[in-house]
Amino acid sequence: MAKLSLMFEDKLVKQVPIGARPVTIGRSPDNDLPVDNLAVSTYHARVYYEAGRLVVEDLESLNGTFVNDLRVERATLHDGDSIWIGKHHIKVDATADTAIPLDTGRKAVAPKINETMVLDTKARRDMLQQAAATGERSQFSPGRIRMATLVVLNGNVNQKEYLLTNKLTVIGKSPMATVRLRGWFKPKMAAQINQRDDGYYLGTGDKVPTVNGAPIAGPVRLNDGDLIEVCGVRMNFIFRE
Amino acid sequence: MEIVSGGVTDVGRVRTNNEDSFRILEPLNLFILSDGMGGEAHGEVASALAVETIADYCAQPKEDSGVTLAGVAPDNWSADTKRLQNAVSQANFRIYDSAQKNPEQRGMGATLTAAWVNGSKLSVAHVGDSRAYLLRNGALQQLTSDHSLVAEQVRRGILTPQQAEESEMQSVLLRALGAHPEVQVDVDETELFPHDVLLLCSDGLTRMVTEPEIAGTLQAETNPVSAAQKLVDLANERGGLDNVTVIVARVQDESKGWLSWMRRGSAKKD
Repeated sequence: MAKLSLMFEDKLVKQVPIGARPVTIGRSPDNDLPVDNLAVSTYHARVYYEAGRLVVEDLESLNGTFVNDLRVERATLHDGDSIWIGKHHIKVDATADTAIPLDTGRKAVAPKINETMVLDTKARRDMLQQAAATGERSQFSPGRIRMATLVVLNGNVNQKEYLLTNKLTVIGKSPMATVRLRGWFKPKMAAQINQRDDGYYLGTGDKVPTVNGAPIAGPVRLNDGDLIEVCGVRMNFIFRE
Repeated sequence: MEIVSGGVTDVGRVRTNNEDSFRILEPLNLFILSDGMGGEAHGEVASALAVETIADYCAQPKEDSGVTLAGVAPDNWSADTKRLQNAVSQANFRIYDSAQKNPEQRGMGATLTAAWVNGSKLSVAHVGDSRAYLLRNGALQQLTSDHSLVAEQVRRGILTPQQAEESEMQSVLLRALGAHPEVQVDVDETELFPHDVLLLCSDGLTRMVTEPEIAGTLQAETNPVSAAQKLVDLANERGGLDNVTVIVARVQDESKGWLSWMRRGSAKKD
């Protein structure tokens, strides 16, 4: 018969077997596994058997029920799983049960739009790693940071190279411009580069810049190695590691 | 720089209470917007606390300008930007502290996006998924990066922006005010030009209305309050699933020519 062990950090608080009746978890003392913590709802969750499977069900708790690191409304439990409720966790011991194949029945339930939640550091790292492992387009590996850089090929500007660290990089004669143009009749704001989540976008200012020789109509996403030309200044947009 | 501004907040069509807060301090050209979270009216407490703390901090006499109280500020930021960053750090601590002292407020938090214009310099401070945009030359430039799980996945190339918009995980934030005693505050600085339009908004707008629609509305409606109201109305027409708050600040045209030189000259003598 499967057992549930309520743990606080590494200490065992209480252990109960799971029989025909559901095991209830919550702040109220009349639960089978009472958890005395304000982050836990009065009747927070319950664990029971359904068609031979062990199931955890969140009882619309305020702070949610997590199986390992996924927030769930309902999930099939497997031996060795941990149910996280606030700072407590409940270890699932189902060694005596017949094995249930993994990847069945479990579905992460996305928070509803009205429950914005903040992940703590560990949950955040785990979720990102999980997402990275499944992402097909994943080009990211931790520790490798790509810095967008403008390398000046020719033209009258104040530096040879610019790291694009700001959200908005201005190319112009203005004293606050990142890429400061020098010389007569140069516009204060000739063009601009906007750093967005999916890349860097070159947009028009008082001039229309060209990318690889073609004038841009609106903001265009820059690719590694693109040649930008504006007001007689030619620059390479590249990613440095 | 002369700026005209206005803001509108609305509960939306689905929720029963408005957890957003905003404040415009016209003499300072300071604009603050916060979206609260946490059940039973505590989201409102958190967002109001955020907005008030920042307004008070920035309105104080500038004694500590340039001193970094918390976090890391690059040396090249101006004193005003560091000051705004400090204000946000303090707001974070006050929300955290309040939640520690009042158990019923546990779990409350807030996003924060603030913009402060000093001369032609714009300072932006930001935590969470409320955004700041700049409309310039008819295109929206995004001045903040959402601290949300889906936005982080886009930055890492795991999701496309389209997938992120369709994701059910949009409400998962990686950073918010009030969750920890210290928070990393993103700050940025840029220069404003005449005709620029600054927009601050909660996610109740950006999840309902597309960027081209926002850009179109800001160009068509030059009165800031009317523009903000139109954007709020548009979000509500699309379903109004969340509270929606919009601040619009428009940089006025600079007076040009020799007349302005004369005016400037006479102003200096006064």
